[in-house]
Amino acid sequence: MTWLVPLPVVMPLLGAALTLLLVRRPRAQRTVSLTVLTATLVVACALLWLATGEGALVVAVGGWGPLGIVLVADQLAALMCVVSAAVTLCVLVYSIGQGMADGDEETPLSVYHPTYLILTAGVMNAFLSGDLFNLYVGFEILLVASYVLLTLGSTAPRIRAGTTYVVVSLLSSLIFLTAIGLVYAATGTLNLAQLVGRLDALPDGLRLVLQAMLLLAFGIKAAVFPLSAWLPDSYPTAPAPVTAVFAGLLTKVGVYAIIRTETLLFPGGRVADLLMIVALLTMVVGILGAVAQADLKRLLSFTLISHIGYMLFGVGLSTGLGLSSAIFYVVHHIVVQTTLFLAAGLVERRGGSTALDRLGGLARVSPLLAVLFLVPALNLAGIPPFSGFLGKLGLLQAGVETGGPLAWTLVAGGVVTSLLTLYAIARVWNLAFWRTPHPSLPAPGPTRLMPRMMVGSTLALVVFGAGLTLVAGPLFDVSATAAEDLLQRTPYVSAVIP
Amino acid sequence: MLVLLAVHALAAVLAPSLVRALGRRALYLLALAPAAALGWALTTATATETHPWVPQLGLEVALHMGALGRLMVVLVGGVGALVLAYSARYFAPDDAGLGRFAALFVAFAGAMLGLVVADDLLLLYVFWELTTVLSYLLIGHDAARRAGRRAALQALLVTTFGGLAMLVGFIVLGEHAGSYRWSVIAGDLPSGPLLTVAAVLILLGALSKSALVPFQFWLPAAMAAPTPVSAYLHAAAMVKAGVFLVALLTPAFAVSAVWQAVAVTAGLATLLYGGWRALREHDLKLLLAYGTVSQLGLLVAVLGTGTRTAALAGAAMVLAHALFKSALFLVVGVVDHVTGTRDLRELSGLGRRMPALAAVGVLAAASMAGLPPLAGFVGKEAVFAAFATGAPLDTAVLAGLVAGSALTVAYSARFVWGAFGGAKPSEALPPGPALLAPAALLAAAGLAAGLAAPVVDGLLAPYAAGLPGPGYHLALWHGLSVPLGLSAVAVTAGAAVFAATRRRSRDAAERPPAGTAAYDRLMHGVDRLAVELTGATQRGSLPFYLGVILLVMVVLAGVALLAGAPWPVALRPWDTPLQAVVGAVVAVAAIGAARAHRRLTAMILVGVAGYAVAVLFILHGAPDLALTQALVETATIVMFVLVLRRLPATFSERPLRGSRLVRVAIGVAVGAVAAAMAYVAAAGRQARPVSLGFPDLAVSYGGGDNVVNVILVDIRAWDTMGEISVLVVAATGVASLIFRRSADLRQRAPAPPPGPGTGWLRTATGAAQQSIVLQVVTRLIFHVIVLFSLYLLFSGHDAPGGGFAGGLVAALALAVRYLAGGRDELNAAAPVDAGKVLGTGLFVSVGTGLAALPFGGQILQSAIVDLHLPVLGHVHLVTSTFFDIGVYLIVVGLVLDILRSLGAEMDRQMSEPEEAA
Repeated sequence: MTWLVPLPVVMPLLGAALTLLLVRRPRAQRTVSLTVLTATLVVACALLWLATGEGALVVAVGGWGPLGIVLVADQLAALMCVVSAAVTLCVLVYSIGQGMADGDEETPLSVYHPTYLILTAGVMNAFLSGDLFNLYVGFEILLVASYVLLTLGSTAPRIRAGTTYVVVSLLSSLIFLTAIGLVYAATGTLNLAQLVGRLDALPDGLRLVLQAMLLLAFGIKAAVFPLSAWLPDSYPTAPAPVTAVFAGLLTKVGVYAIIRTETLLFPGGRVADLLMIVALLTMVVGILGAVAQADLKRLLSFTLISHIGYMLFGVGLSTGLGLSSAIFYVVHHIVVQTTLFLAAGLVERRGGSTALDRLGGLARVSPLLAVLFLVPALNLAGIPPFSGFLGKLGLLQAGVETGGPLAWTLVAGGVVTSLLTLYAIARVWNLAFWRTPHPSLPAPGPTRLMPRMMVGSTLALVVFGAGLTLVAGPLFDVSATAAEDLLQRTPYVSAVIP
Repeated sequence: MLVLLAVHALAAVLAPSLVRALGRRALYLLALAPAAALGWALTTATATETHPWVPQLGLEVALHMGALGRLMVVLVGGVGALVLAYSARYFAPDDAGLGRFAALFVAFAGAMLGLVVADDLLLLYVFWELTTVLSYLLIGHDAARRAGRRAALQALLVTTFGGLAMLVGFIVLGEHAGSYRWSVIAGDLPSGPLLTVAAVLILLGALSKSALVPFQFWLPAAMAAPTPVSAYLHAAAMVKAGVFLVALLTPAFAVSAVWQAVAVTAGLATLLYGGWRALREHDLKLLLAYGTVSQLGLLVAVLGTGTRTAALAGAAMVLAHALFKSALFLVVGVVDHVTGTRDLRELSGLGRRMPALAAVGVLAAASMAGLPPLAGFVGKEAVFAAFATGAPLDTAVLAGLVAGSALTVAYSARFVWGAFGGAKPSEALPPGPALLAPAALLAAAGLAAGLAAPVVDGLLAPYAAGLPGPGYHLALWHGLSVPLGLSAVAVTAGAAVFAATRRRSRDAAERPPAGTAAYDRLMHGVDRLAVELTGATQRGSLPFYLGVILLVMVVLAGVALLAGAPWPVALRPWDTPLQAVVGAVVAVAAIGAARAHRRLTAMILVGVAGYAVAVLFILHGAPDLALTQALVETATIVMFVLVLRRLPATFSERPLRGSRLVRVAIGVAVGAVAAAMAYVAAAGRQARPVSLGFPDLAVSYGGGDNVVNVILVDIRAWDTMGEISVLVVAATGVASLIFRRSADLRQRAPAPPPGPGTGWLRTATGAAQQSIVLQVVTRLIFHVIVLFSLYLLFSGHDAPGGGFAGGLVAALALAVRYLAGGRDELNAAAPVDAGKVLGTGLFVSVGTGLAALPFGGQILQSAIVDLHLPVLGHVHLVTSTFFDIGVYLIVVGLVLDILRSLGAEMDRQMSEPEEAA
């Protein structure tokens, strides 16, 4: 069944080609995109099923073996693919709903469809790649696609935001590319499995240089403090579905790359302590940023940064429970952060703004919208029984289990961050959903304020996020074995190089 | 128990629809859910139930109801049902928020039920936080009122703070015991500092939830909630959660001196503070709120002690307090309902006008004051008995308790006097029986529990049974004992205090509860810290962000380099000195580009650097790379020129002079670190590179002599596939930026050729910007160039060339046509939609990659076909050539797209103002 492995990349690319050819037939474009992403979701689920049952699936592209590029669908990669595919599908439905309601002036769908599909392909490629340079290619695909999506409609604020985003991303790509060059210079290979042994054989200092450069490149992508300032200045200006998918997926690709390389290529060592310190700063500085915001979308961008800290916390602990909780948290956060941005898009339509001082009384105006916001918001704040709580619980347990001043500081930081997250979202609730409706509240007019497809897809993600609570047991099984495999390293290596 | 929880959840979900269908009456129906819990607890002594949830985290749905749990379920279910029934008459029939209220209230009752029967401490936390969040939503029921919103947020933050601390405490216990079930942990507590840490953290949770000092301030503020909410959450249920936790854990935790000390001290302080403040309030509801704070202090102090009598006394007081306090809140609600005020300075004559209401109020208040024969009296007797041991510490506590009781008597009297006293006739209409009945039932239950003290004793005794200390039994009459004497003292002193304060406090100014100011200062501090920190890090300046990133790189990599990267001893500076010369050219050009003032200069210098890199490739023996690099550089220059038309000739004068040195320093440091890294990395290699096998395999397996091309279209074709999709997106992106409107985007396809002519040079309109000569020349060579590009494409597998280089050559041919003749000439040369060229190319490449799958090959695996055809003779065909055709098409499509957008469309936009004028 290894022929399934390339499909999550190949199908969206073929879909992109078709949507480019069908540029004058929006209905056909929609059909292609929906079909392709649905199929991708199915294939991703199959990959997760197979990887859980039989171990990692490996494909040597072109039959070149480890000389060429290998694609590896282990549990971690397959899990990421499943969640990403589900999220991209929901966001696609949302954006189609938005486009059908508004016409496509705001987000020209003829550009949107192929670009969005290629973005998906890039994300999937990054997860499945077993080759350092190909990982870079995956990053490039999703980055260039994200440049286009971020500047859709080329309004002045988007161009300005796009400039920050593009230049910072280019710098991170440059650093990544430099790191790849250095790795190849030092080891003569880019195959991750081959790198394991060769990196181990290098002198410590040199390995540290390589690790630092890779970490830096991924840290920018993952928006880790102090490399995170670009994110709130760029994400919030994009159209709602674009921001949602960026917030959900793109930073997590960076986190995924950190998890993969830190465990497989650079296990142990003092960098783990550095990661913990950075995790703490990211959590606290990020959430204080959220507290200081007066705009819902910007606020959510800061919570996004802040909670990346939780994932790094788990990676830095480098224990089984820590890592497995971090993986669980990634899954949770992809879903919940995307949902919140979609809900913010609905708030913008229904309330006419995302500025908190121009909103009010939304709970009375639209109870449905209130639920669509409140459930993922509480989830994000780690209120039980939602998945945000479960992930945080695992991390706190892992921290207490590890002990020591640093781990305890992280536990305290995690708890404070959780409280401040609750503060930030409760402030949103107090201002936007309570109070009396703001005078500028749009009256129902010819354009539907809450199109059915937008509400439906948001609701689907809300349910998905809340449903994680019910399947938390099996999901933790997957993340725990994935974490175990990562820490052992041999399952990955022997799957690629038998 | 899970069934009961599910019933509550279901009722909560259905509540809004039920209310919509049945109006207020739906609340009676919903009251069946908590009533069912009451019924179940009355008929079941103990129960245990376990369901798996997240075993990896020790989180199970482990439920257990013992004697303590049973008491709590009775209270939660019974009071819950009665308050819901009361709400059915309390709210106006047309209250828009009634559906939401009903849902939240029933959900709260369910969460509370789960909390008191949870055996797994993590599960307890789950329900604990749920009650917190639901109380937040319930306190803010009237969302238009600022005070309500503020109080809701304050209660949320304070109790969540404590809850999180408690969670960490639980984790400490659980990680030590290897289980999170209290039934397991209780037998395996850690010792030493770990126990102290856990005790303090957990008590933070209990104190904050039950509004004890120093968290007392949130509860009076939360009185902004509707009265039914106060009666249930802030008297019987939620605030009891902290008390319940103390009661649950004390039997095991009493070994910790810290536990006892904190619980008793905070409890006594709260008891006295609350009682004192209650005497100064004019709002009946606030009076009760402070009374609640005071009583919660009493409960925690007693239950935290850990002796048998104290435990029994505490449990009895929990029961008594829940009954009288919720009854009193409901009475205040009725008073508010019928008179429109709760201010005891305005109320008068209600006692005469509404004797039934007054009777209920007096009965409940008497229980609160601890008068016989009510439950409050029985409980307080037991409390005094528990501490009347003669030990010095116990005696000190006892003194505090008696003082607190005196205050309780005083504010109970104040309540009755304030609500029902006075002779001025009132005109308010008495409440209906349905509104009064729940309060009456609760007050009557307080009387019944007092009279049936031995029965209550039998029910509560199992909870206290395992604790040290003499056996004590709840009863109305213990003989002429010390506790009875103390009760008499408390009542007398209380009466005196009431008499002394009733006049004086009449004009006392209203003050927020102590601690509010500290809370406000703290939150203000957090907000300010947030703003200042964010202002410092989030500058909104791209150069600042880049500087930070580069500095981090210099520090990280620099430290790693200094920390012990192996510095090679031998250095081979170059293969040929020419490399040094070219390298110097690259460096000088790069520096010059950074310093340039004119955009054109910068662009040319960047181009020089690019061409010089191509030369470096040649010197390394890589003609393919050099060819591609040179072509890319050329195409880039064309595009730059197109863009520069719209930009000012020079860079803006940047206001960055001051930071110039810093930027130069960062640049130099980054360069130095990068160079050092390259130097160290290349010297560190120990293994043979994988590429050594490529040349041979390229021929035998890849079917081509040109190893670079085989790498691109075969060995690493997956990379190439990704990169061409990048090109597709880049082209789309440029078009999306330039064509402002969606409709314009379709003009990526050419417009029909203008002009009357149909001849060879029909697009030559003779306009000033066109050069006929150049146009003719390009026409003549165009097809030759295209043919050459096709040659590069097809010969690329064995000789220098390939789809990328070929595509670039063809694209440059198009560029020349455009430069010579403008957009019409471009359309004539390539009468196709660029998007379709891109789509076709991507489809061909990816499709080729998939083709191997049905034949059992891997994705992108190529096949080599050698055929003898009649005319062509021997044909050596490698399927990867089709892949390369896709690449070719995409490169052509990309450049075509850019020419259309940056060239033709910008021409149009630039000429638009003139057309308009």
